[in-house]
Amino acid sequence: MVSPPAAIGLSDADFERFCEYFYKRTGIHFTSAKRYFVDKRIDACIRSSRYDTFAAWFAALRMSDHGEMLQELINQLTVNETYFLREDYQFDAMLSTVLPEVLKARGGRGRIAGPLKILSLPCSTGEEPYSIALRLLEEWDEIDHVDVEIHGADIDSDVLAKAAHASYGERSVQRVPKAWMNKYFVVVGGGRYQVDEGIRSAVTLHRVNICDTAAMRSFRDFDVIFCRNVLIYFDELSSRRAAENLYGALRPGGYLFLGHSGSMSRISPIFTPTRLPEGLVYQRPTGAK
Amino acid sequence: MTSDTATSSDTGTRARVLVVDDAATVRLYHSSLLTGAGFQVSEAANGLEAVEAALGTEFDLFVVDVNMPRMNGYACVEALRSENVGTASPVVMISTEDRPGDADRAYLAGANLYLVKPVNGDRLVRVATMLTAEVAA
Amino acid sequence: MGLVRKKAPQDPPEEVLPDRTSPETLLSQLDDPDADCRREAALGLANVPEAVHDLLARVGTEDDPRVLESILTTLAAHDTEEVAGSLAVHLASDEAGLRTAVAAALATMPSSVPAVLPGLLAAPDHDVRVMTAMVLADLQHPEAHAWLVRMICEDPHPNVVTGAIDALLPSATADDIPLLTDAVERFPDDPFLRFTVKSALPRLTGTP
Repeated sequence: MVSPPAAIGLSDADFERFCEYFYKRTGIHFTSAKRYFVDKRIDACIRSSRYDTFAAWFAALRMSDHGEMLQELINQLTVNETYFLREDYQFDAMLSTVLPEVLKARGGRGRIAGPLKILSLPCSTGEEPYSIALRLLEEWDEIDHVDVEIHGADIDSDVLAKAAHASYGERSVQRVPKAWMNKYFVVVGGGRYQVDEGIRSAVTLHRVNICDTAAMRSFRDFDVIFCRNVLIYFDELSSRRAAENLYGALRPGGYLFLGHSGSMSRISPIFTPTRLPEGLVYQRPTGAK
Repeated sequence: MTSDTATSSDTGTRARVLVVDDAATVRLYHSSLLTGAGFQVSEAANGLEAVEAALGTEFDLFVVDVNMPRMNGYACVEALRSENVGTASPVVMISTEDRPGDADRAYLAGANLYLVKPVNGDRLVRVATMLTAEVAA
Repeated sequence: MGLVRKKAPQDPPEEVLPDRTSPETLLSQLDDPDADCRREAALGLANVPEAVHDLLARVGTEDDPRVLESILTTLAAHDTEEVAGSLAVHLASDEAGLRTAVAAALATMPSSVPAVLPGLLAAPDHDVRVMTAMVLADLQHPEAHAWLVRMICEDPHPNVVTGAIDALLPSATADDIPLLTDAVERFPDDPFLRFTVKSALPRLTGTP
């Protein structure tokens, strides 16, 4: 058996420089605690590239603005899986703070005009908008008194087709409480579970490119938007435009959740950051002076 | 020259400073000066990060650069003083630029002091210590 | 009450109909008293070459920072000498918000910024040259390193040199050590420059 070549190896200085660069590009911060993990992943990237040393690879990486090299690197360094109730501390925040604030701002349950609108973008294969539906039905005490529209949108028609079909494997639903599985899912062939028709019909799906301003104009007056773990992949100008389009899709005072690795501080100053117990959320300003 | 121990007014613990500058080297420079003088220093690479940091932590002092991308220093200080954050802690603004009206602009935004780079290390420490000194009730 | 159900749940995902407001209408909305309206107009004029002139004219006069941001987002996608040249003028602005926003936009325009660089590097106002270093810090261009090296070696103002050094350091190698130590020699009274180079050296000498 051929033994693998020695690891390319990062010096402390290299690691520091890399972390600064990665933080600047994506807002994701690695500490020395993640050293081993980062070293291994970078090693893998270098090996599959045409460069022999960290220095050469890093120089090439810096030259391309969010090109393929950075895409691959981000994929290597972040968790990409989607599943039900992912990062659900943000759903906690939605239920405990955001929706009550929104409801109050819009006059309360008796006087609110029009439905509360929630958007999941990108919705991928649907786990996120369906998760939102389940948590609202099971845990929001106002759900019986207020209309709520849930929308999911993605650029990829393949994943949207899967979202419409709404059948998932064991891994995707492993965080869903048993009682909810029994109530809202049907066992279908191949060890998969399908979201029941009632929930599926509660999520309206759309195909859209988040960077397309004209297309995003169709999304208006949303009270809450989840745009999690996607902006880090965009180059500078595209992420600015995406941020602007999200702003335009929000009602004044509306809330934007980015994923755990997401921060507007790397992208755009147009939102107002707000600290909730569960973490940061962004708001479109109300415009009230 | 001896370095005074920086204290915050209530608890006698080290005063917390947020150093805000897009240049890593400048952050390092100001941080090491202030850490050496007994401050507990955190850093932010732009005005937006500073606002986000200030939302989560009570800082006793802010040292803020003017020329920063995405949210310049003046806008940052205005945001720190706004209802969203509402900090009353002193702000020292630092700039490479020395245009007429820059200092006024800083004070209008809510800064307490305006310094021009390169900042003398001793001066920064003196100013920071003075601004975070105990205030008689 | 509750979750609103779709009328026809079996429908495939809706293709979103793009907004069809005409460029002429959007151009007229650039003067609307409502900032949100101006903002949306500027964004809506993406990829409309005929709008560039009007948008450039408003960079220096738009008061609302969010509207300025959206004007620049639209303009920066036109990576042309016309746009870069017009934006570069504002690096000299007394308004910190304007000059930093313009610097950020220029940093995303690697095709056209090189043409305006000679003028910027020779600007009599050292503050403009400091802003130029800020642009070069983020500009994705193979010559950016070389331009920064030139600034470090040649610029007469210490603040410009330190700005250029800071912009250079993330991509600096051991080959850059001599020019950094020379800079310290040129400005022996600048404590920050001395500190910066001194703290950067260990990292540079350590890199193979």
